[in-house]
Amino acid sequence: MDRLPRGRHGLSPEFVARNQRERLISALILTLAEVGYQKTTVSMIGRRAAVSKSDFYKHFDSKDDCFFAAYDYAVDRIRSTVLEACVPNHTAEWSDRVRAGITALLTLLASEPPLATIVLAEGLRAGRGIYDRYQAAVESFVPLLREGAPDPPGAAPVPSATDEAVVGGIAALLSRRVVGGEAEDLTRLIGDVLEFALAPHLGTEGARRITSAG
Amino acid sequence: MSATRPQLPQEFIAAHKRRRMIDAMAELCAEQGYEATKIADVVRRAHVARKTLYDNFSGKEELFLAAFDVTVAEAEAEVVEACDQIGDKDWEARTEAGMRALLEFVAAHPAEAKLCLVEAPAAGPESAARYEAALEGFIQQLRDAAPAGGGRPATLEEALVGGTVWIVQREVRQDAAEKVVELLPELAQFVISPYRNVGKR
Repeated sequence: MDRLPRGRHGLSPEFVARNQRERLISALILTLAEVGYQKTTVSMIGRRAAVSKSDFYKHFDSKDDCFFAAYDYAVDRIRSTVLEACVPNHTAEWSDRVRAGITALLTLLASEPPLATIVLAEGLRAGRGIYDRYQAAVESFVPLLREGAPDPPGAAPVPSATDEAVVGGIAALLSRRVVGGEAEDLTRLIGDVLEFALAPHLGTEGARRITSAG
Repeated sequence: MSATRPQLPQEFIAAHKRRRMIDAMAELCAEQGYEATKIADVVRRAHVARKTLYDNFSGKEELFLAAFDVTVAEAEAEVVEACDQIGDKDWEARTEAGMRALLEFVAAHPAEAKLCLVEAPAAGPESAARYEAALEGFIQQLRDAAPAGGGRPATLEEALVGGTVWIVQREVRQDAAEKVVELLPELAQFVISPYRNVGKR
């Protein structure tokens, strides 16, 4: 993120303030990925963002306050990326939309590991408070998966708990990989994750056919 | 089990006190969370002397970890026992029996379940590592037990265990642990169905 030019730049105070806030958020995400939550300090964030400590406290009450804002920002990025990938294909087959969403998700996380780290790994070590945000973020993908999903061949409709378990299971799998330092390799899991997401609605064989046709 | 003479009353009392402290830790964590729980609270709740606590544990974290280990060991023992009653022949029935035992354990021990599933992942690096290790144990158990072959994704067991834990965790967080047994049919179906139709192409 570029720093603002020093001196007279003709930018409004509101713009500078917003810009500082965004720089602090992104500095926290990068620092967290490098040294972990415990060791991240307000001074480190400020230095990286080129924002003074007193300006930091104009935007956030504490490290945790900045952390929550950063967490929400990261979740928002991920969610909007997935939505962008699958909603324009509104008329497409359900399985194509799921494929587009999963591909977009794993591609984003693999290309920006610090984003994956705050949402799925180090962020979750930051205390119990963050779990509410994590849970809400994961659950927000359930309606997206269920929308337009077909009933399985020759069987009863898929219970909601199953799709919730699918989404939670994907989050758990990704989290394990990110904790293990393998965020950059996440795109290799697109096939596995896709088959896992499709299987309850299409049957294992149907899901595999579509996955391998990819 | 060895068939030696009965334990000395003193050992019995010591074990009982240790247990009381562990139980108190679980109860207090369930009520107010790990962070807010103080040694003084545990001592009061368990009716033991502060010295007794420090004779048994180096501090709050060690007591918490002991509570985690005891609970996981007890849950695992019940799962193994339920599986063994079914035998090796029918892996679907065996898996369902194991899952039922686990869900019944959670329902019967809501405070301990909360300690393991809600507090442990966020209660510090050592605790998080033990949580991951316990999860890994369940993943390995499923891998070992499930029918071989079928060209299934290598990550399947991680996702199945992760998804099941996700659902149980959510109920426990919302103080609805007693309801998890009702979820058995859906969760058993979730875990078992990916292994059906093996070889049918």
